[in-house]
Amino acid sequence: MKASTEDLIRARHLAFVGRVTASLSHEIKNTLAIIGESSGLMGDLLDYTAPPAEWAPYPRLKTLLTTIAEQVERSVVIIKRLNRFAHSMDEELVALELNDLLKEITNLAQRFARLREVGLETRLCSESLNMRSDPFRIQQVVFHFIEVSLGFAPKNTTVTVASRRDKGAGQVVITDEAPPRAEWLKKQISPPYPSFAETEEQSDRDLGVLGPTMAKLGGSIEAEDLHPQGNRVTVTFPLEKG
Amino acid sequence: MEKFAVLLVDDKEEFVSVLSERLRLYGMEVDTATKGEDALAMLGEKMADVVVLDVIMPGMGGLEILSRIKKVYPHVQVILLTGHASTKEGIEGMRLGAFDYLMKPVDIEELIAKMRASIKAIAKE
Repeated sequence: MKASTEDLIRARHLAFVGRVTASLSHEIKNTLAIIGESSGLMGDLLDYTAPPAEWAPYPRLKTLLTTIAEQVERSVVIIKRLNRFAHSMDEELVALELNDLLKEITNLAQRFARLREVGLETRLCSESLNMRSDPFRIQQVVFHFIEVSLGFAPKNTTVTVASRRDKGAGQVVITDEAPPRAEWLKKQISPPYPSFAETEEQSDRDLGVLGPTMAKLGGSIEAEDLHPQGNRVTVTFPLEKG
Repeated sequence: MEKFAVLLVDDKEEFVSVLSERLRLYGMEVDTATKGEDALAMLGEKMADVVVLDVIMPGMGGLEILSRIKKVYPHVQVILLTGHASTKEGIEGMRLGAFDYLMKPVDIEELIAKMRASIKAIAKE
């Protein structure tokens, strides 16, 4: 499919956002490196110069330094995710591995799951699903479906993101334990897409984008009700984007 | 612990200051530079066993400094530090002769282990 001028402009907008975000994440990482080294130095100085047995604050300070080190480590993991997400906007057609992308996007969605008190699990197939496609759009589609499932799923249930190969395609299967909503979902993602003006609900607006996005990716979406309760959305991405 | 002569090169002064102090506490002899040109001049005056070099620096970048070091002082080991999630620069650096690379923030024990391994490797040559 030949890209329109509008598509090309949008791609460059995204690449700009990605480049700036990646640069900022790099800066934050440098700052974290200084915080990490400074707390490390404080720990070293305590060990090398303080008499631990006689100095009452020593154990408390060591505990606090450990907390700083752990939080720096956690922040670095988050910044790396942000950096990779930002780089997903660099190009519209790249070589990627679908399972890697699904790990990234479910990690990004874990916070939303925690806030909803819903579990979010992956069951990814063991074989590599190598493809040439648009990583940002794939993440956008999968993230929105995860978000919808999290929004409808009862507390203390689990949303599952699974993957599998289906002939010349990679499939992502998102399952939840919410009341069936296949018909509603089909309406949201099929033409005529709900206009942004017609709805105020965030997830509806996002779902309205998914139909055209999937058309760009050359894939398909299938929504099914599960009995007695639950939903399964299967998103199929061709391994080679046209 | 064996004592290494280390040249630490990074444009972030606070980082250089703190990491060099830590390495000294671990028994290293450490010099520092915040510019590539200064690092090359310092090597001309005083040899280091290992250069720990940031990849992304204003002016002369880490990979260019690495190339120049390896051209003039092939026996000096270089360990790269990169702040990017990508390993691209690190891999390119190893192609140019770096011993290894580490992602920032570095784990001091890991850095010292890499330094020790790099010195062992050069001794075997």
